[in-house]
Amino acid sequence: MISTIYIEAEIAEHPRTLDILKRFPYASKVACERYGEIFNRKSQNFRLQKKQPALILAKKHKGMVLPTPKQYAIGAEHNYYFSHMLNCLYDCRYCFLQGMFQSAHYVLFINYEDFIEDMHASLEQHNGQAVHFFSGYDCDSLALDPVTNFTDEFLPFFEKNPNALLELRTKSTQTRNLLKRNPIQNCVIAFSFTPDKIASALEHKAPNIEKRLNAIIDLQQAGWQIGLRFDPLIYTKEYKKEYTELFTRLFSRINVDLVHSVSLGSFRLPKAYFRKVEKLYPDEKLFSAPMEEEDNNIGYSAEIRNDMLAFCTNIITQHIPAEKFFPCHETV
Amino acid sequence: MRHLFCALPCEAEPLIQHFKLSELKEHELFRLYQSQDKTISLAITGIGKLNAAAAVTYHHACLQTSSTDIWLNIGVAGHANLAIGEACLINKITDDRHTTTWYPQILFKTDCTSAALITHDAPATEYQAALFDMEASGFYQMALRLGTAELIHCLKIVSDNQEHPVEKINADVVKKLIAKHKTTIEQVLEALRPLAEELNSIKAVPDHYQSLIEQYHFTQSERLHLARLLRQWTVRFPKEDIIQSLRDIKNGKELNKKIHTKLAESDFVIHD
Ligand code: SF4
Repeated sequence: MISTIYIEAEIAEHPRTLDILKRFPYASKVACERYGEIFNRKSQNFRLQKKQPALILAKKHKGMVLPTPKQYAIGAEHNYYFSHMLNCLYDCRYCFLQGMFQSAHYVLFINYEDFIEDMHASLEQHNGQAVHFFSGYDCDSLALDPVTNFTDEFLPFFEKNPNALLELRTKSTQTRNLLKRNPIQNCVIAFSFTPDKIASALEHKAPNIEKRLNAIIDLQQAGWQIGLRFDPLIYTKEYKKEYTELFTRLFSRINVDLVHSVSLGSFRLPKAYFRKVEKLYPDEKLFSAPMEEEDNNIGYSAEIRNDMLAFCTNIITQHIPAEKFFPCHETV
Repeated sequence: MRHLFCALPCEAEPLIQHFKLSELKEHELFRLYQSQDKTISLAITGIGKLNAAAAVTYHHACLQTSSTDIWLNIGVAGHANLAIGEACLINKITDDRHTTTWYPQILFKTDCTSAALITHDAPATEYQAALFDMEASGFYQMALRLGTAELIHCLKIVSDNQEHPVEKINADVVKKLIAKHKTTIEQVLEALRPLAEELNSIKAVPDHYQSLIEQYHFTQSERLHLARLLRQWTVRFPKEDIIQSLRDIKNGKELNKKIHTKLAESDFVIHD
């Protein structure tokens, strides 16, 4: 559990801060000016910090809502992502956050109202057209929901604005806050999957496939929109067998007609991130796979990547109509 | 390796005795001590942050410290209301003059209170709700250049407070305060050990690397590539000695190519 909480002076008295602090009566509280004093410092080690991450309560001042790279779209022309949190409770070895951040501490930006204001501005800018907002690029959207109250605070905005759609990217089973409210059609809870054995090897601390699947079933039964994300696809000798088993298991248990969208993309990282993570985990098999450098990214060789994408696309499109399928073929 | 830093001889003395350290007489600028097995060392820095920073640099130069070492500043400090004799691990160091702040990363379980500390240029006259000393900021910022924040810490024993002001302290009192916390200090060092070991294992040079770069010519980038290939080989085939299977190598480039080819030609399985 969290044993240290850093608190930016500017939001020390914010009601959300006080609420969160009440949940951790035994954590030591350390005042700070700006979260970057802790989070962005050099000479710290992500791998060691991941053993006991602290929580940093901070205020986001700018760049609340940012345009999303085109290849991540799931059907809309206008796409933005936002991160109320940096870093994740889970510890997936392929996660780009390990390469991007100096620190493994969780940063929670508690000025939700400013995020929502910026979303409002983005929405107005597009004059009633559909706008998609993606959460879960820099964290897992739901893993800390019981503490952050993220869904309860953000969903009312989407209830009021049907032309805005929210994607909550997650591997979490923390769906209680969602299940206790009325579902809305413009929120997609997008679960990421890799086959069982790969998940056990790489997705440390994340709920297993069966638990995620059960969470999907509960959400679908309650009327929520579900997304399936097979990104990153992970290569292993028997990948065809393993992905076939995964797809069979998922598509036989969930209500395929009620799936909002499916996307997939092969594992790749920007070169600098890859080199940093590889140094952090030199004992990790993932980084000794047959990889190549291309356009400043490192990922599987073109042959492996194309084979995997073609193989998985073929099975997915047997279950999902083309208009719901969004392969992400480009590199990051 | 674990490196302890104390400002005063009376702070250092109980530790020198406890860890059975001997003075390294060949180093004269600061008094340095080391255990026989060379796993623990101590420096007496003298008073003030400049001295503390200089002692860290000197210690590093004399003892060839590594980036995976543990660094601990130990001393007494005043606080407005913490009880005399309380051991505190510092979670925030503020340099009073420059208003720069550092946050030591306490990633281990500890019985110590965690507290903020302010490093002053001169003895402080007013008690505050933070510990105060004259060395920690100098020690910490210099050690941070040599190690990693998770392994660099300051442990302060409260020596005076509003009710028991500094005038009553003498060398004997200080010695007793530190001596009383020998176990606490050991516990902190023990708690840091697995972190240091993990870091060591990450940074370890792969098997065969040293002998190969002595045997063949490699450019700098080929050396990096070799290290990566050797690591990949060990991760994928921990029981197979790559070197045994390589014959007739003329130079480093060719060696790298052969390892690369062997890796590329073998099946890749991510899980057991
Ligand atoms: S769940 Fe997502 S954000 Fe969290 S560690 Fe895994 S890949 Fe990263």
